[in-house]
Amino acid sequence: MKYFVTTCPCHRLAFETMNLETFEIRVLPTKNKLFRFAFRLLGSSEEAKDVVQEVMIKVWNGREQMAEIQNMEAWCMRITKNLSLDRLRSRQRRATDPIEQGMEIKNETLTPHERTENHENMERITEMIAALPEKQRQVIHLRDVEGYSYNEICEILELDMNQVKVSLFRARNAVKEKFLKINAYGL
Amino acid sequence: MDSKQIEQLLEKYWNCETSLEEEQQLRAHFRGEVPESLSEIADLFRYFDVQQKQQVEHSDFDALVKSQIKQHRPEGKIIKMFYNYGRIAAGLVVVVAATYFVRQEMRKAYPPEITDTYSDPRLALEETKKALLMISKSFNKAQKEVGKIKVFNEAEERIQGKSLDETKEQATKI
Repeated sequence: MKYFVTTCPCHRLAFETMNLETFEIRVLPTKNKLFRFAFRLLGSSEEAKDVVQEVMIKVWNGREQMAEIQNMEAWCMRITKNLSLDRLRSRQRRATDPIEQGMEIKNETLTPHERTENHENMERITEMIAALPEKQRQVIHLRDVEGYSYNEICEILELDMNQVKVSLFRARNAVKEKFLKINAYGL
Repeated sequence: MDSKQIEQLLEKYWNCETSLEEEQQLRAHFRGEVPESLSEIADLFRYFDVQQKQQVEHSDFDALVKSQIKQHRPEGKIIKMFYNYGRIAAGLVVVVAATYFVRQEMRKAYPPEITDTYSDPRLALEETKKALLMISKSFNKAQKEVGKIKVFNEAEERIQGKSLDETKEQATKI
């Protein structure tokens, strides 16, 4: 990020509009986070990958307008959310459908050891989160998986603090309730 | 961390009162061995951990994106410009067409009062003469009628003249 501290006039341009180098530093590394978020919303890894590519192209093409954006990652996440929701709507499909695909992907990311040990529980948790309403699913993903601050979540989801906190509270409590139920049946 | 602290942190977690650091502490704690009673909760935090490691499955995603943005850029801009001009042009076409049709309709509804009726100038002259003659005839007739009003005028003047004379005579008598 040398470009952002320099005062040399010849480097000014790099500060004003993003070049390929700054794109590689600031935007490309967010790809996995964007992918996970899109995947959480869409439930399909192929589509999530398409969305991430679309986001990257959008950010690159709009780089002249985006010179002033400070939190590039949150901005990319917001575009990811919007594009994913557009896709969901055009598909007119409920996001809770592709539970099976979700499990398939998750298995690939687990080590063989983890797979045998936790397989059943992980499946159950994936289902639980997939069954949550859209907003709660977004918030619990951003907070508990990605570890974003409340302010960043507000920025990404374009919600106010209250809505974010209420959604997270409901999401966590829905998960907790289900754990209690499972335990009750287990006994 | 002892189990009591963990219980407290968990309680805070369910109430959404934990900070990001505390949530990281919980995650770190549940990566290790935990008692049977907390194994379900531990799975939840392990699940978050595992999920965060998920990556885009593509051999060289960065190169793919870079090649895409190189191809995409100029093309996209031209299309957008044409699109914008196209919108303006379409708007103008609509306005022009609308005014044309409205004008036509207006002409049909209110035909203009002065229209060319003669193609031969001599005929037109004749017709104009006729019209003018007719007007002058009417004028003459009207003038005759107006002549009658003169009588009244004269009478009025005479009366006024008399009354004036009378007043003068009275004034000299005194």
